[in-house]
Amino acid sequence: MPAAHAADNSLSITIYTDDLALVQERRDIDVKGGRQRIEFEGVSAQIRPETVSLTAGDISIVEQNFDFDLLTPAKLMEKAVGREVTIVRINPATGAETREQAEVLAANGGVVLKIGQRIEVLRDDGLPVRVIFDKVPDNLRARPTLSVTIDGARAGPRSASLSYLTPGLGWKADYVALYDEAAGKIDVQGWITLTNSSGTAYDNAQTLLVAGSPSQAGSPGQFGSVPNGWRPPIRRQTLGQAGTESGSRERLGDFYLYPLPERTTIANLQTKQVGFLDVHGVPAEHGYEYLSHWLATSDQPQSAKSTYRFSTSAHAGLGDQLPAGILRFYMRDRRGEPQFIGESRIDHTPMGSTLSLVTGDAFDVKVKATVDKRTRVNERDWKTDMRYELSNALPRPLTVTLLQDGLWGDSRISSESQKSTRRSADTAEWAVLVPANGRAVLTASFDTRF
Amino acid sequence: MSARRSRWLVFSAGAAIAGPLLPLPAESQGSLPAALAEAPSAVSVTVYRDPYRASGSIELDRLNGFALITETRAVHLQAGDNVLRFEGVADGIEPESAIVTGLGDIILEKNRDAAVLSPSALVAAAVGNPVVLTRTDPKNGRVQRMPGTVLSDALGGVVFQTEQGIEALRCSGLPETLSFEDAEGLRAHPTLALRLRSRREVSTTATLSYLARGFDWAADYTATLSADGRSMDLGAWITLANGNGTGFREAHAQVVAGRVNRESGELEPVDIGGPVIANCWPRGSTSDIPMQLQLDMGAAGLRQEGMKKALAAPSAAAALQAIAAPAERAQLEQLGDLKLYRIQEPTTVASLQSKQLRLMDRTAVPVAIVYGLELGPGDDARAAGSPVLASRYLRTLNTPENRLGIPLPSGHVQVFSYHEGRRLLERESKLRDLALNEEVEIDLGPSPDVQVESTSIGRAQRIEISNARAAPIAFELRLRLPDGARIADATPAAGSKNGRPMFSLSIPAHSIGVVRYRTSSSP
Repeated sequence: MPAAHAADNSLSITIYTDDLALVQERRDIDVKGGRQRIEFEGVSAQIRPETVSLTAGDISIVEQNFDFDLLTPAKLMEKAVGREVTIVRINPATGAETREQAEVLAANGGVVLKIGQRIEVLRDDGLPVRVIFDKVPDNLRARPTLSVTIDGARAGPRSASLSYLTPGLGWKADYVALYDEAAGKIDVQGWITLTNSSGTAYDNAQTLLVAGSPSQAGSPGQFGSVPNGWRPPIRRQTLGQAGTESGSRERLGDFYLYPLPERTTIANLQTKQVGFLDVHGVPAEHGYEYLSHWLATSDQPQSAKSTYRFSTSAHAGLGDQLPAGILRFYMRDRRGEPQFIGESRIDHTPMGSTLSLVTGDAFDVKVKATVDKRTRVNERDWKTDMRYELSNALPRPLTVTLLQDGLWGDSRISSESQKSTRRSADTAEWAVLVPANGRAVLTASFDTRF
Repeated sequence: MSARRSRWLVFSAGAAIAGPLLPLPAESQGSLPAALAEAPSAVSVTVYRDPYRASGSIELDRLNGFALITETRAVHLQAGDNVLRFEGVADGIEPESAIVTGLGDIILEKNRDAAVLSPSALVAAAVGNPVVLTRTDPKNGRVQRMPGTVLSDALGGVVFQTEQGIEALRCSGLPETLSFEDAEGLRAHPTLALRLRSRREVSTTATLSYLARGFDWAADYTATLSADGRSMDLGAWITLANGNGTGFREAHAQVVAGRVNRESGELEPVDIGGPVIANCWPRGSTSDIPMQLQLDMGAAGLRQEGMKKALAAPSAAAALQAIAAPAERAQLEQLGDLKLYRIQEPTTVASLQSKQLRLMDRTAVPVAIVYGLELGPGDDARAAGSPVLASRYLRTLNTPENRLGIPLPSGHVQVFSYHEGRRLLERESKLRDLALNEEVEIDLGPSPDVQVESTSIGRAQRIEISNARAAPIAFELRLRLPDGARIADATPAAGSKNGRPMFSLSIPAHSIGVVRYRTSSSP
């Protein structure tokens, strides 16, 4: 069957956030009429062959094949069994060459040759012997290759469109936030980071990024179920309030689309970044937060977390929906050079949301939570007295958001030195003012059933 | 507030999905003018600690901290589209953290190519391309060069075609090698390249900053106790290390104390390549020894191995050298909620180097030595019958009155004391991050001179503390009682620390102190 090679001339790639991409390309094929095999080179090395679809005018697809029989010396020899090869013996003393024709009888754990009427094992004596083959067997290739057998109604060149899904391409967002402490504002730049480990380069591709992942039910490489006993780690909530605003970005179903403005070449093993957001002077609020777990007593003061809170709304915030990624915070040092102060992961965030992100531990702001007294009131009820000592080694007063969790069920705060608000059934919250270079103490009694 | 959306052209979603036949851009990316950013003219390196280490010193073969590297480089751009390449960035670069400023709004994209030049990458790039096969006759040294094409490098075997036919590399037993026409843009190290669009030809400077792995630092303290045990001299070094293959000459160096959040996971893999493995067909059937010929063309070896060998732990030697010239101390400044220590003079942070710089020196800091033991619910039995050793603690308060009053970043402490005029190492310990006015407690380890034995009769406990020292000691017994239990009565009277009962007593020289208490639980 004649094999034609398809040349690609237009390529578009749609990349989802979950290591999946849709590749669509147009290729010129030369249809000879009748049955014909066409090989497509330069497709993703990780192509999912079952997702391939090829369409062109006036042809019908007979079959699609994905050949992953690779051309190696061992395969070459294996396929030569029963065939003639040329062997060239080199005399190690003189360098003289002797050419002979040989038939390969077997290649199992050693190559057995029939030369004339003799049977010999190739290079069993360790002397140099070159083996020369006439041709490469048809379906052995350097790379896995997609081939399609078509039945062309009429001969002539035409344009075919090929599409397939492949893993190995992914993207996420990376943000750079520069916090101005004096003004209480941040500048935020957003970059889309594209990675390609699919084993293939994509030249001059029109690229579209989708902030979401279509479910891959039962597809290879996906877990059928979550392994037993695995629980996602509990992460601090970053989204204060989910937004309700709509952006001007394109959508696909419920996913936002981020098209790259220009055609680009995505090389193999390349990390590529393209900017998508550049906002200046967004108000941001710096705060401190400490979460005390139920019945936790710390012998040493623990650092409170540094938090930054800002909005993604159009009128007083970033004014965009944010694809999931990592936000890195920077701050200028005394010489005016930006220095890194920590990073935080964000999820897909709608426009108009409030984000509260932790950058790390505050060196100078610490909290020591202790169970002061715990008494059993009766068979069912317990009374727990908590004492929280807050210290501030900074020369300015500040407010720490103190959280106590574990208050589920019919728990009650029977007395407290400062009024709390209940963030949820489980968590009480106090805003504790700590004086400059000073300390503050908060006490609270909890009536619980546990 | 000025909000501006940059550089996104909005395509219609349908058009983008359908992938219409758009005309290709006039210039192909391969033919863009390539500019190389010059060597950095100014470099700043800010080293951050391993965020998951709360105390103790760095380990040279496991540098889990990172650094922010900021460098200024001169660049020359042509009018139109350019590719600007930055070479000599740290190997541990996190490419997604790279920020380039000073060039204005002309960056189209930032790329980092992780495919590096290696023997196997050369062969892979040569598949389908012309190469020259060189055979050397081992007898007379005659070299035979034959042009050919590489057909495959699959699974480590190389198949090539010459005018004589198809052959496999290094299966004949003759010395054979391939030589290549060019390296196809492969470079020795991952490089960062920007695609830029400049309105005019321009010479300017760009500032590149990025985070890189493979750095770390910690404080190394030396505490020298005075002969009377009432005061100490406390000095500290900043020990910082660079495990990267890239060094930074005459850099402004800073270290940052405090824990910063890190979310970045694994770095994108770098295809480090390998030697050309010429896998052959099976040979030598009368022998079952597997044979695999390898031609090592100088593969890029793993850095870590070399690093372990190249670096020797410096801390012991440095610690003994307690006095430094005071002028070279690092200068402290506040950076948000972190502490930044600036090294005053430019310094070279060489590759695979650890470096020590003076952090602080304080003399005659008043200290107290306290012995103590904590007994939990199960520990009563532990101390019953066979005595347990109490621990010895060195305590002070981090205040100006105590000649301290400065933030103390976490690290490793070596405690020295004098014995007959000689300064001897007594104990190695750890310190966590300590803010102003915090209690400093250095664990000096268990003391065989002070032992604790407990006897229980029902809910009553009798605890004996024996002091074999020739001086009175201060002792603290801390209790962890079962949930809901409390002290009903005790001699001496029980105090409390961290919400738990604590007995403080002074025990005279060569005598035994006794604590008695009885517990009761709530209804």
